[in-house]
Amino acid sequence: MADATAPQFSPEQLAEVRRLQGLYPDRQGALLPVLHMAQDAWGYISLEIEEYVATLFEMSPAHVHEVVTFYTMYFQKPKGRHVVAVCHNLTCHLMGAKGIVEHMKARLGVEPGETTADGRITFLTVECLCACEQAPMLQADDRYEGLLTPEKVDRILQGLA
Amino acid sequence: MPKLTVNGKEITVPDGTNLIEAAKAAGAEVPHYCYHPGLSIAGQCRLCMVDIDKVPRPQIACNTQAAEGMVVQTESERVKDTRRSMMEFHLINHPLDCPVCDQAGECWLQIYYMKHGLYDPRMTDEKVHKPKAVPLGPHVILDAERCILCSRCVRFCDEITGTGELGIFHRGDHSEIGLFPGTALENAYSGNVIDICPVGALTDRDFRFQVRVWYLDTAKSVCNGCARGCNIEIHTNKHRTHHNQGKRVARIKPRFHAEVNKWWICDAGRYGFRWIDDESRLAAPGVTVDGQSVETTWDDAVATFAGRMSRYRPEEIGVLASPQMSNEDLWALRRLLDSLGVMHRDFAVPPREPGEDDKLLIRADKNPNTRGAQLAGLGPAAGGLDAGGILDAAAAKKIKLLWVLHHDLTASGFAASRVSAALAGAETIVFQGTNANPTSARAALVLPSAAYAERDGTFTNFEGRVQRFRPAMAPLGEAQPDWVTFGLLAARLGKAGTDVALTAQRADEVFAALAAAVPAFSGMLYRTLGDTGQMVSA
Amino acid sequence: MAELILSRNFSVPDAHTLRVYREGGGYKGWDKAKGMEPAAITEEVKKSNLRGLGGAGFPTGVKWGFIPKGSTAPKYLVVNADEGEPGTFKDRYILERDPHALIEGMLIAARAIDSRLGFVYIRGEYVQPWRVFSAAVKEAYDAGLLGAGVPGGGFDIVVHRGAGAYICGEETGLISSLEGKKGWPKVKPPFPAVKGAFGHPTIVNNVETLACLPPIVTRGAEWFAGLGTKTQGGTRLYSVSGHVVKPGVVEAPVSVTLRSLIYDHCGGIRGGRPLKAVVPGGSSAAILTPDEIDIAMDVDGPKSKGSMIGSAGIVVMDDTVSIPDALMVVARFYAHESCGQCTPCRESTGWIYKMTHRIVEGKGRKEDLDTILDVAKRGAGTTICAFYDGAVGPYISYIEKFREEFEALIRSGAHA
Repeated sequence: MADATAPQFSPEQLAEVRRLQGLYPDRQGALLPVLHMAQDAWGYISLEIEEYVATLFEMSPAHVHEVVTFYTMYFQKPKGRHVVAVCHNLTCHLMGAKGIVEHMKARLGVEPGETTADGRITFLTVECLCACEQAPMLQADDRYEGLLTPEKVDRILQGLA
Repeated sequence: MPKLTVNGKEITVPDGTNLIEAAKAAGAEVPHYCYHPGLSIAGQCRLCMVDIDKVPRPQIACNTQAAEGMVVQTESERVKDTRRSMMEFHLINHPLDCPVCDQAGECWLQIYYMKHGLYDPRMTDEKVHKPKAVPLGPHVILDAERCILCSRCVRFCDEITGTGELGIFHRGDHSEIGLFPGTALENAYSGNVIDICPVGALTDRDFRFQVRVWYLDTAKSVCNGCARGCNIEIHTNKHRTHHNQGKRVARIKPRFHAEVNKWWICDAGRYGFRWIDDESRLAAPGVTVDGQSVETTWDDAVATFAGRMSRYRPEEIGVLASPQMSNEDLWALRRLLDSLGVMHRDFAVPPREPGEDDKLLIRADKNPNTRGAQLAGLGPAAGGLDAGGILDAAAAKKIKLLWVLHHDLTASGFAASRVSAALAGAETIVFQGTNANPTSARAALVLPSAAYAERDGTFTNFEGRVQRFRPAMAPLGEAQPDWVTFGLLAARLGKAGTDVALTAQRADEVFAALAAAVPAFSGMLYRTLGDTGQMVSA
Repeated sequence: MAELILSRNFSVPDAHTLRVYREGGGYKGWDKAKGMEPAAITEEVKKSNLRGLGGAGFPTGVKWGFIPKGSTAPKYLVVNADEGEPGTFKDRYILERDPHALIEGMLIAARAIDSRLGFVYIRGEYVQPWRVFSAAVKEAYDAGLLGAGVPGGGFDIVVHRGAGAYICGEETGLISSLEGKKGWPKVKPPFPAVKGAFGHPTIVNNVETLACLPPIVTRGAEWFAGLGTKTQGGTRLYSVSGHVVKPGVVEAPVSVTLRSLIYDHCGGIRGGRPLKAVVPGGSSAAILTPDEIDIAMDVDGPKSKGSMIGSAGIVVMDDTVSIPDALMVVARFYAHESCGQCTPCRESTGWIYKMTHRIVEGKGRKEDLDTILDVAKRGAGTTICAFYDGAVGPYISYIEKFREEFEALIRSGAHA
């Protein structure tokens, strides 16, 4: 991953930033997509990246920081190679999310919000992912995995290198 | 111009008036936090609820425009109960810091919760904790726990200064006001966020822990920091002199003026009062005897000055007046100099660093009364030398009496060598001013001036607005208004005669004399100037 | 078995592709609509009694009519695909399995409101749905269905991902987020139809609402209205989850009863256990007891029991559920998702969560229940948006309808 403390988009990435900015009546509309781009490029969004993105939008860094701290999907610190987010909202709770969370704590040896020492997995508990028909469920990186049992959780974790 | 009824009273207001302002016009106060007439509408605090006929639920007054035929209640039982609810919400996480919080006594949480009898909170769980005592910049310190997240400060930095330093980070009850990490609140108007913060979240570093606000007296005045003439209040501590290290002036706050400074003041003006109580203040006349300055009486000082003056011909006298002086001071000086035939006089001493106008309030000219000095005719008289010429003539010993009012020539834009040559060449140097400085140290005679904060007077700002300032406290020691000194000198020299400017007992009499003589001020009286001033005639 | 309209493509292989969508009759609605006057489209939608299916249930045709007549400002059609209401998952199905239905619905709506630019705001966590929908948009562009050639001045779609905030499902919170800011709902007035995204007239519609437009146009408003009840036309997609045998998306006419959904469509309660409680319209809807489930699941049915149809997210609870425990989970959700902008919501959602947590941990106090109820009632209706009212729904209904269970927990000092 590129150095998040001295961020610089490549010319192709910059062209994409400008393209995204052009899609909106006010270019600030592209801020969330560009922050996603930055997180994909550097793995997380450091303060330096916030300052850099602020220059691309001619915004004050404080207002970029507002956006980064408001939304749950922007990581301000490096995350693990994989993010496993277990839903602990209403239906998942009714269907045994607590047990799944306890099982994962035991398997990974970390609390929700933390990353395993080997940098493999960031373990989160999150609010409704809107897959209640598969409760209890989790999101592993981009995928939803539902109808979880401890055994299924183990298989999912094993598949995350 | 809609006509509406507020609490049974019919009023007519301009189009686009919100209900907070409409209620005010009807004599009713609608409590609020986030609303500020100088900033955009936020609608966040939810305190300004009012009842409107035919509308089922109370509505926020700040975002509701007055409409023809509207019937508004600001004191119905339901409105009062709603306000009580909103106050309770505000207090849920607010720390009980009153005993150590500077805002106590002028805190709008205190004022409103006491009004609603909310003394015993039923919130007994752990409150949310946030950073406390965080300096944001040279002047402002933040306590994030006390913050009620009204966002006034954020809007100020976005909309007024355009600098955008502040934001509200995170969400829910973990929302927090702050700076982007590594930055500072350093814009030239940072202190204004202290005024607009309704609570003790943003407080003044200079004023921190100095004196409780209920001990302060207030006087209406005008800032002397530049030619804008921002309206101010001077807050003095006279009752608890063991607080605030005995300094009389505790702080300066802006005073609203729709045409001059609105609600704001720059930091230089807000904090430019330390000289008033500084050790260097001149409290008594002084004569230099054998190289030492010795305190003396006014009688003695005036007699000495008159004596020296009568030794010289008018063309051997050079006077450097100051645009720091009031209209009254300047006019009395003009009358005195004219009666003596002194034509080498000027008020324009260049500053070392040229200032710059900004787009808000700050003027390049750091003097409050340049326009007044121009209108009083204190530039060189016909055939007279200007400031630079006076200095050179003093160096050449053509000018023998150099009378410097308020200026520290060694800190001016004149070359150091030119100044020292002048000070070395003049036979007699008289300094008249508020504070001792390297120039006054070279004077044979030092006459103490009362500060603008210690007397009545007027300044004329760069736009020609004549504004009154009023005394916040008595002059220090024996210091007195310059116009009084000129009157005493004139009397001693037998030049006072019946000239009102030189025989007046009160500042308003001098001003009346100025108004009678100078067409620009025609018709003006202290009474007509009031609190908002008047424009000079073209 | 009633005809499947909105979900007809959900189990059809590759129905997310343009080819298969067309084979099933797709884009015939748009073919007809592009020959209709915009006002005529709006009239049809009004006559169909189509209601907003995201949560507010507002008549869709009426909402479109709020754009100031004769306005020459650009008008934006914004699709609320920020599905986030706990218990709801039906929009996800449309995005993943029938994305062209949404695109076709957008074309029809855009023509009605004279919009050249549409934004589809998809919640950030919906990565797969976003990929599928974006691919469908590309297919539509490649086929000339989108772009400059669209009759009426062209129509473009910008797909915009959110980044994790339930409040962006509130239409003005969504607009703020679309504008590149925090998802703070906006103070109203002005309303979005007058001054919305980027300061221009904006209509925000839910995914499912727009997916109803092709059938309405092809088969007629009267037909659609006739499927439903007096005040709401059509079928809708019910998301049923919790302790039912067959959780999932169920399409039914809006006249279907809650009892029928639970017992006929979803196989009843697992293990044959008794029903204890059911949430009819997403977590923001007041909870219902077993004697309250003989109601039509339209905009009026749950309302008659003091609840709401909302997003039609139905969460079924059997007798093993601890209601105080469920309330704690729901209270935690609202505290986490409060945007923090206005005082009553910001301060009390956190406090009420602390109290419910304390109760569940066995440290509840006698006065807690009345405090929660009083604080909730004092805050209801006072906030910038309806988020807090959505929190108040569960706060009040769970405690008032199951008070004895809460009191027993407080008395015993132990959790169930």
